[in-house]
Amino acid sequence: MPEHRIDLLARFPWLKEVLRSRAWQPAGALFTLACFVLAISAGLLGTPAGARNFGIIFVWIVWWALLIIGLVPLFGRLWCAICPIPAPGEWFQRRGIIRRSPGRLRGLGLRWPGRLRNIWLQNLGFLLVALFSAIILTRPAATGWVLMGLLLVGTLFGMAFGQRVFCRYVCPVGGFIGLYALLAPVELRVRDREVCRAHASKDCLTGTARSYGCPWLVYPGTLRRNAYCGLCAECLRACPQDNIALNLRPFGADLLVAGERRLDEAYKAFIMLGCALLYSAVLLGPWGWLKNLANMQSLAGWAGYAAGFLAVALVAIPGVFWLATGLARRISGAAAPMRRLFVDYAYGLVPLGLAGWIAFSLSFVLVNGSYALAVVSDPFGWGWDLLGTAHASWRPWLTGFIPALQVLLLLAGLAISITVTYRIACQEQGAAFTGRAWWGTLPIAGFMTGVTVLFLRLYLG
Amino acid sequence: MPRREVLAIVVAVLILFGVPGAALGYRLGWFAAPSALRTIDVVAASPENGGFQPDVLRVPAGQRVRLRFSVPDVTHDIAIGPGLGIDLGQVDAGQVKETEVTFARPGRYTLYCNTWCSPNHWRMRATIDAYDPAQPDELVSPSGPDPVVAALVEQGIDVDALHPAAAVPAEKPSASRSEALAQKIQLPAELEDAAWRRDHAPAQAHEALMARLPALDSQSAWDILAFLWLRDVPSTRLDQAAGQYAKACAACHGESGDGEGPGLDALRAQGLARHHDGSEASTALDDPHTLLGGTSALYYAKIRKGGMGTGMPDFGPILTEDETWALVDDLWTFQFEP
Repeated sequence: MPEHRIDLLARFPWLKEVLRSRAWQPAGALFTLACFVLAISAGLLGTPAGARNFGIIFVWIVWWALLIIGLVPLFGRLWCAICPIPAPGEWFQRRGIIRRSPGRLRGLGLRWPGRLRNIWLQNLGFLLVALFSAIILTRPAATGWVLMGLLLVGTLFGMAFGQRVFCRYVCPVGGFIGLYALLAPVELRVRDREVCRAHASKDCLTGTARSYGCPWLVYPGTLRRNAYCGLCAECLRACPQDNIALNLRPFGADLLVAGERRLDEAYKAFIMLGCALLYSAVLLGPWGWLKNLANMQSLAGWAGYAAGFLAVALVAIPGVFWLATGLARRISGAAAPMRRLFVDYAYGLVPLGLAGWIAFSLSFVLVNGSYALAVVSDPFGWGWDLLGTAHASWRPWLTGFIPALQVLLLLAGLAISITVTYRIACQEQGAAFTGRAWWGTLPIAGFMTGVTVLFLRLYLG
Repeated sequence: MPRREVLAIVVAVLILFGVPGAALGYRLGWFAAPSALRTIDVVAASPENGGFQPDVLRVPAGQRVRLRFSVPDVTHDIAIGPGLGIDLGQVDAGQVKETEVTFARPGRYTLYCNTWCSPNHWRMRATIDAYDPAQPDELVSPSGPDPVVAALVEQGIDVDALHPAAAVPAEKPSASRSEALAQKIQLPAELEDAAWRRDHAPAQAHEALMARLPALDSQSAWDILAFLWLRDVPSTRLDQAAGQYAKACAACHGESGDGEGPGLDALRAQGLARHHDGSEASTALDDPHTLLGGTSALYYAKIRKGGMGTGMPDFGPILTEDETWALVDDLWTFQFEP
């Protein structure tokens, strides 16, 4: 086992029993599916007033807060294990919900194209949703249609391509969860790689009588990062060698895994950082004209907004980062190719990006969270009062502390990002050249500081 | 198949098909609670978002109905008039509020918004036709012409025009300042006559008073007029009217009557802050030049029929005649201190 790891399954046997059970994942998925279908129904049939519609409040406030502030930073892809979107497709493949059905998985058995075995589609999908976000996040009907579309596509992909191909290569949410899961202090890994190497049957890939093979198409024996592990625990159920561990580990450990860094993931880091900045400007900034453009008041105006949005996320931010990387390479005398340095250093942006997203999310989650009380009693806005809370009044929470929290988060994100960048620079230069690594870190740290200042300007005015 | 697997499949099917099916069924009224009470659903939105939907409701007079309002956009204050005293208070976006009402007599009523909800707030109205159940096919007609308005028209008085005062007081006239004086001197008989005062402007009364009592100084004459104009108005009536003013008038005329309410900019932008002759509409109720040249009857007519070509809405379909007169009484308090 690597250093600084605590095997939670060894320490808490009850946790191992829970995770080995076949019931916890379907139970979670059924619960989230119920909320999801309710959100679709409320979005399409309920009140068009977003603040009173379950679809808007529970998806974009409650779920989003749980995901970005809690689940992803702490547990990585745990959400993916209980996500409702691929669940019906997975149940179709398995001919069951809880039990391990005998025989092979059902489906068309189509092969996912080799060229698309990356997260570029997820990057594009996220950007596409982002361009319409001012509409989707505020119009219940738009939310309803988007969620229904995702459920249908997730189900069809499950039937056509099998396994979790949709989650791994298509889902616009899955892409960024995978990226930020690299930070999570929890990882599922094998205890001893030699045990796996020597074990011929590879039950974690093929499945057993009580487990399926890894639906994420990941071989735990060589798993080094959280990016594509859906924490479904099928491997834990399958492993006859009791070689699977659930480790508590240092925050952000996966960012330092050299050799598995990729351009598509690096671009995901740029897109996420850019979107956090742009969302903050559009949704929280004082510029009414920008909101109007994003709200599609005119098609031509929105087209200009979309072009600007894409230019910032795909060209401007990566472009400036490329220049910073070039400067870092020059002053540190790094021998590595420019493209590799560009990709490697981009992983340093992940903590700052997540901090930016959490800071951005706090501003509307704390302000609008109290709507959930009324909405849970009247999910459709039809005048119901199921739990007696329908008339709970809107009350923003901790508004006086939000700017301070945002500053702390962003400064912490900046500090972690600079530290990670320095350690990546050390990997490039070799442990003997820490001085050069500092020079290599300097321009990237400057870029990160500039981005942090932009965030602070937007939040503090 | 294990029992928990069967249970899971049943739950999944219920979630996937039961939840949307039940919601759709409820929406389409399949599961509407059986009730003898007829429920009418009304969407209450700002005029630019469709206004009241439906905008014409037909209900039988004398029978109780439930009106259920859902608000999709911004806060509204839903009320029904005239003379019913029904005001649901503020209904926020996404809220649903309902009221049960019996329209005792056949006639035409108005559903309206009582809070400034948009630049077109004053257009947010719907009609409720309470028909006679014995003659359901007979058209419900609005009430006949208002006799006060009709008399003004007959006299050839242009209700929509500005009627500036030829002379105005040096300072705001005060009723309390002149009370003792007014009781000591012999006032012209017509000035004591409430009907005469309704049909004459304070400026005209001032001229008449000065002609009869030339020894009186001009400001004292204005003070006496203040006393006369407010003499028969109980303070409770003024308080009630002030509440009505705050809801219906202050948005344009200003809370203090200075004519600079927040709604005025919107009217100006829409070109609705002008008289039909093209002159700038004066919305300042504290301006003596504007107000003291007009009669109570004139202002009553302006309130009830609205300002032709201006953004001044017609309050006739909303207010009773007495409520309108009370509002006119309140209007004079912008010129006269009690």
